[in-house]
Amino acid sequence: MKKLIVLFCVFYSFSTTYASEVTAWFENESNQFLEIINNNEGTESENYERYKFFINKNFAVKSIAYGLIGENIVEKSSQNELSLYVEVFTDYLIKTIYKLANSNSSSSIVLKDVDIKNDIYIIKSQINDKKSSASLYWKVIDTGSSYKIIDVIVENTSYFVTKKSEFNKILRKNRGSLEALVKEIAKI
Amino acid sequence: MNKYLKVILLIISFSLLQISSSYSNEEEFVSSISYDEIYDPLEPINRAVLNFNFFIDDIAIRPIVKTYKFIAPEPVEKGVSNFFNNLKEPIRTVSFIFQGEFYKSFNSIGRFTINTLTSLGTFDLASRVGMEKNETDFGITLAKGGVSSGPYIVVPIIGPSNLRDFSGDVVEYFVDPISNNVPNREYIAIGNGLNERAEIDEQLDRVRDTSSDRYEMIKSIYYQNRNAQLEEEYIQNLPVPKIYIE
Repeated sequence: MKKLIVLFCVFYSFSTTYASEVTAWFENESNQFLEIINNNEGTESENYERYKFFINKNFAVKSIAYGLIGENIVEKSSQNELSLYVEVFTDYLIKTIYKLANSNSSSSIVLKDVDIKNDIYIIKSQINDKKSSASLYWKVIDTGSSYKIIDVIVENTSYFVTKKSEFNKILRKNRGSLEALVKEIAKI
Repeated sequence: MNKYLKVILLIISFSLLQISSSYSNEEEFVSSISYDEIYDPLEPINRAVLNFNFFIDDIAIRPIVKTYKFIAPEPVEKGVSNFFNNLKEPIRTVSFIFQGEFYKSFNSIGRFTINTLTSLGTFDLASRVGMEKNETDFGITLAKGGVSSGPYIVVPIIGPSNLRDFSGDVVEYFVDPISNNVPNREYIAIGNGLNERAEIDEQLDRVRDTSSDRYEMIKSIYYQNRNAQLEEEYIQNLPVPKIYIE
């Protein structure tokens, strides 16, 4: 019985350590994100650069990019095609997050809960502005050296799932041509 | 004449549900559904209807909504939204009874009573005293009863739906205890529609700004929101990128 209690305590302390690490990371990065959202003083290109820095630092951009097109397309595409796609997609991700966030001025992001499933942290938070609030989930992985965001879910709408539907449609319409997808997303 | 119309529409909606059940994959309801393979055999028609809806929205509805949002002070906007939401509590009560969710059913009718008596529904006092709003509708009731979603449809003016949910909406329109007992129910329907459009105004602007295929984006968002209402571990079960690449 004693061993069981000790084992439970060890397990519990490990899990709370991990949870507190990811919580600290989240508190720090969400504050930075708020600063970026609320800082409207710079020029458009300056604001864009701030988003770019934040996204490159915190998002698993390449994983998201590859996940959106699926294994088959990744396997049949050349390295050059994939590099170009990742480059254009990174710009697309920055622009879409910028447009999504830029229409709001938010006063706070409140951490609600941290859950873990299949090595993915699911951070539940709430984003508030003067008018309203919305639920905001972040799916985050621990890469060993840092935490990276793999999906953001605003009011039940997942960025990854929504973009996957859009990208798949474009790919299907163009017989799996990555080049066509790149052209299409470059228009945004 | 009105009674005949009701009967005909009810028959149509139930027969559509029968067709829907035979068409679609049974597993679709237990929705760890692959979002990029949503059953959409009517896509060409749906795309045309969506374009029509955006056209009507651009020339008529959007200007009204933008003007309303510009003119109406925040508390007025909130009050109007609360008013129309409160009118849905009785039909939610009925839906929860059909779902066997009796606690939520009592909660809904309790909310309606408190909010109507204190402010005609314009202020959500019930939430302040711990009676939180629970969303549901007849489409959800049908889904919980095992009816599959059927094909995705875009309804003129109304927007995205599927055969099951649209049938639920039709049934709701005719059995709703509120709208069945007030004169000029059409005005309530129009007011409610405009209020719902105003509530998603910012989301629609984002769709216009950030989508490479707005049809797919709206369809995906619609199904994600419906599945969130049906699945308990919806967020946990959403697909994610499989591997991490530096």
